[in-house]
Amino acid sequence: MSDTIHIQIDRADGSLQRLIGLVERRGFHIDGLSLTDEGVMRRAAITVRGRDDSRCAEVLRRQIDRLIGVSRIDAVVMQSEAA
Amino acid sequence: MTAAALKQPDAATAPQTGARLLVSSLEAMGVDVLFGYPGGAIMPVYDALTGSSLRHILVRHEQGAAFAADAYARSSGKVGVCMATSGPGATNLITGIANAMMDSVPMVCITGNVATGLMGTDSFQEIDILGCTLPIVKHSWIVRDAADIPSVVAEAFRVAKEGRPGPVLIDLPKDIQFAEVAQPFAAPIFNDPVEAADHAAIREAEAAIRAAERPVLYVGGGVKIAGAVDELRAFFGRTGIPAVATLNALGTIPTGAHGFLGMIGMHGTRAANEAVQEADLLVVLGARFDDRATGKLAEFAPHARIVHYDIDPAEISKLREATVAVVGDLKASLAATDPGPLAIDPWIMRCMARAQRHAARYDAPGDGVYAPALLKELSERAGDDFVAACDVGQHQMWAAQHCRFSRPEAHLTSGGLGAMGFGLPAGLGAKLARPDAQVVTIAGDGGFMMNIQELATLRRYGINLKIVLLDNASLGLVRQWQSLFFNENYSEVDLSDNPDFVAVAQAFGVEAFRISRREEVSAGIQRLLDAPGPCLAHVVIDPRENVWPLVPPGKSNAEMMEGA
Repeated sequence: MSDTIHIQIDRADGSLQRLIGLVERRGFHIDGLSLTDEGVMRRAAITVRGRDDSRCAEVLRRQIDRLIGVSRIDAVVMQSEAA
Repeated sequence: MTAAALKQPDAATAPQTGARLLVSSLEAMGVDVLFGYPGGAIMPVYDALTGSSLRHILVRHEQGAAFAADAYARSSGKVGVCMATSGPGATNLITGIANAMMDSVPMVCITGNVATGLMGTDSFQEIDILGCTLPIVKHSWIVRDAADIPSVVAEAFRVAKEGRPGPVLIDLPKDIQFAEVAQPFAAPIFNDPVEAADHAAIREAEAAIRAAERPVLYVGGGVKIAGAVDELRAFFGRTGIPAVATLNALGTIPTGAHGFLGMIGMHGTRAANEAVQEADLLVVLGARFDDRATGKLAEFAPHARIVHYDIDPAEISKLREATVAVVGDLKASLAATDPGPLAIDPWIMRCMARAQRHAARYDAPGDGVYAPALLKELSERAGDDFVAACDVGQHQMWAAQHCRFSRPEAHLTSGGLGAMGFGLPAGLGAKLARPDAQVVTIAGDGGFMMNIQELATLRRYGINLKIVLLDNASLGLVRQWQSLFFNENYSEVDLSDNPDFVAVAQAFGVEAFRISRREEVSAGIQRLLDAPGPCLAHVVIDPRENVWPLVPPGKSNAEMMEGA
C-alpha cells in the first residue's frame, strides 16, 4: 500500500531537501516524486510507502505539515494500491 | 502565521553592514548573552560586536557554546543564542543543536559561511551547514541579501519559541556580513499567538477521566515548556490523580508531593512504573512516549486508554494511539480541564502504599561514598535555589532518582539526546541565566572530560558554578550494561588512568578538593556550597556501583531488576 501526498512548498534554501529528508528519515520509501513550478511556490507530489507496518502516513502528513515553508497539503492522503 | 508590523526606524539612516544589522537585530530581540567562538568566516560579526550591548561569552569549544546556550534558554525561559564560524566551527555546534532539538529548547544558532560566490566550490572551511543540520533544526535560513537580516532574525526567534520550541540556524555568508545596506533598520514584530483551548476535546477528556478507575498523569517536559506548572499542580491537586514524570518533567510536581510516584521508565521508580502498567487511563501531558520512558512499547500501559495533551499535533498517535487528543497550549488546556470529583481513593491508596513500600534507602553498607545519598543531601542542603546541571550517565540517573526538585528549572539534563559533555557548559549557561541560583554541575569522569576545557570559561568570567564530579574511574553505565547483558565482558570502559582532576581544576584556576570517604561528605558539600567562586568537588566512588532499579533494554516496564 502506498500513499500520495500533495504538498505546496516554497523555494527557500533547502526546502526540497528538508521535505524529502523528513519522509525518508521517518521510515518511508519514496516510490514517486514530481515537482511542478507554480511561481513563488512549487507543488510536490510524493508517493510514499512505510518501511514497516508501524509507519503511519497520517502521522507523516502531520510531520510534513509542521515544516516551515509548507503552505498547503491538499490531498490529505490518497490511498492507492502499490504495484 | 501572525501579522507583522514594521517598527519605525529611530536610528540614523546611514548605510550599515550586514554584520552590524545582525548585531542590532539581536539587540532588538532582547538578547543579552550569547555564546560563541570566532573564526575567519564570522569575523565581520565579531568586529561589529564591539560596542554593542550584547554580552559575548567566549567558550573554548563551539560545542560548549551550543550546550551553554541551550541551558541558558532552559533556565531563563528566553531564546538561547550561540555563534560560530564556518566549517569546523559550525560542525562543532551540531551535537548541541541536536540536543536542543530532542528536548525542544528554543535556540538561535548563527554560523558564518564563506562568501556566496565560493559556496559549493569546496572553499576553505566551507561546509554545507544548512544541509548538515536539516534533520536537527526546526528551521534554517541562508541569508542571501543583507537587507533581509532583520526579518530573518525576527522570524528565527519567532520560530524557535513558537508552539513546540526548537533550535533554528541562520547561515550568514561572509560577503553578506560585509555588504552595506542603505535601508534603515526595521525589525518585524510578531505578536505571540494566543492559543485557545479545544473545549470539545477537553469535554471528551473529562468524560474519559471520570470513567476511569485507575487513572495516572504521565507528565512530560512539555508542561514546563508551556509554562503550565501552576496549572498542572492545580489540576493534580483538585483531581488527586496519581502522577508520574519523565526525566525532563522532574520538578514540575515537587519531589515528595502526595500522589507523586516519581520518574517512569528504565531507571524510574517501581511505584511509577507499576502504576502505569495497571492504569486504565493515562492522561499524557506534553510527553512523547520515548522508549526510555515506556520500555517495550507494545507492553506499555497495556490496559490504558490514552488522553493525550500536546501542542504538537505530530506527536498524537505517533507511537501510541490516542483515544482523545487535546491539541493546543497546555496552559490553557489544563486550566480548562475539570472532570469534577473522582471516586479513585482506593487507587490512590494502592499507589501510595506501593510508593512507601519501595521508597529508596540510603543505608548502604561500608564507609565509601554512596552517591545517591550524597546527591540527595546536596539537593536538600542547596534548597529551593538548587539547580542541577547534569551530564550523562549513572550520576545523571542518580540525580534524577534522588535529588529533591521543587521546580522544573532545577533539573537540567540532556534527556532526548543523552549527550555526554553537557554538564559543565550547561552549568555555566544556567548560572549566567540565573546568577542567584545555586547551580551545581553533576558530572561523571567520562562526560566531564568531553568538555573539560570550559573550566577556563568559568575562570575567565568568574562564573560561580559548583561542580560535583562523581568519579568511578569508568564509563559506569556502559560498564553496568556489560556486566548485566554482555557477560561481564568489559570492553573499553576502564578510565582508571584518569588525570588528577583536583590538580587539573587547580591548573585552570578553579578551587578543587577531594571527597573519598563517607564521613567527609557533609563537610565537603558545605565547603562546595560556601566556596566564594567556582569550585569542584572530586568525589571518588566505587566503580562497581550500579543504578537500580533497572528495566532491561527492550523489556517491559513491568520487568524491573533490583540490585543485590
